[in-house]
Amino acid sequence: MIPEPRIQSPPDGGAIDAAAVARTQFVVLGAGGLGCPALLGLVAAGARRVTLVDDDVVDASNLQRQVLYETADVGMAKTLAAESQLRLRARDLRLTQVRRRLDARGLAELLEDVDPAATVLLECSDDPGLKFAANDLGLARGIPTVIAGVQRWRGQIIAVVRGAACYRCLYEAPPPAELAPACSAVGIIGAAAGLFGHWMALLAVRLASARADVRGELAGSLHALDLRDMRVQTLRPRPRPGCPACAGEGPELDVSTARCAAR
Amino acid sequence: MATVRIPTPLRKYTQGQEEVTVDGGTVRELLANLEQSSPGIRERICDDAGNVRRFVNIFVGDEDIRYLDNLNTAVKPDSEISIIPAIAGGHTA
Ligand SMILES: [Zn+2]
Repeated sequence: MIPEPRIQSPPDGGAIDAAAVARTQFVVLGAGGLGCPALLGLVAAGARRVTLVDDDVVDASNLQRQVLYETADVGMAKTLAAESQLRLRARDLRLTQVRRRLDARGLAELLEDVDPAATVLLECSDDPGLKFAANDLGLARGIPTVIAGVQRWRGQIIAVVRGAACYRCLYEAPPPAELAPACSAVGIIGAAAGLFGHWMALLAVRLASARADVRGELAGSLHALDLRDMRVQTLRPRPRPGCPACAGEGPELDVSTARCAAR
Repeated sequence: MATVRIPTPLRKYTQGQEEVTVDGGTVRELLANLEQSSPGIRERICDDAGNVRRFVNIFVGDEDIRYLDNLNTAVKPDSEISIIPAIAGGHTA
């Protein structure tokens, strides 16, 4: 018998509303280095409705940082292995597996029917184009969104909500394929992915807990951290005049995006 | 001389150094001098037309140069300049 977790609001004023977290649909793009720790953090914090998007299967080389999986899972669909593992922690978890690789159009379709007031989107994939699409669609649909990326020892994270500066205010476009480093060549330190994945979960449950009118306080700052010197840089960009994402225009749906070919 | 914080992917141009000190009265001059001491680095930051690439941001202190005078933004000897490219990874090997 597994005890159901008892989620309590912290005494500092209740930044986390367990009931709101349990009601919220968390849409997690990617069940890899960022997605695994993000899912652990979400479910531990009381998330019970999760949509998990990934088309990949578990590879032995993933285990160093994709902490939901074990050697017996090698060859299994990540969404299935993740659901099995998370169910051991929360029997009442309702997890919807979406086994496909999304582009902007696919993400737009996925988000078509969700209730923006009860959804938080987490962009955990390796696809630079999808990070921008998540930013654009989150703003267009009014869905609070958390975006992070990690490479080697460093990462970046930002929460995006309407009214605050967005990822595209800061970066106007994803790097082109020829300038994006090959992921296999760059590598990711497992603990860096773990830190940023849990950081994403924290921001996501806080967004789920916060009233819509104060969510902006959590958003609009990009935190960049290099784990070797532990120096956090917090960038607070201004909303960029003419930013198409902030204007709610949504992503261009037919642009092929730069992503790492190596997986 | 101003201090420039070099992001990890560009440290191969600075012999691994995280920070370098560079002369220059504006960001543009500073990038030109940085290219002298670290050949090859400027084209990772600027496009062929000399503009800052769209997935890279340059900050003088806490201020994004796009909201100052862009490449003509003044740099003081005690300024700290940060070059911050978008990080796209998350999922892969
Ligand atoms: Zn924007």
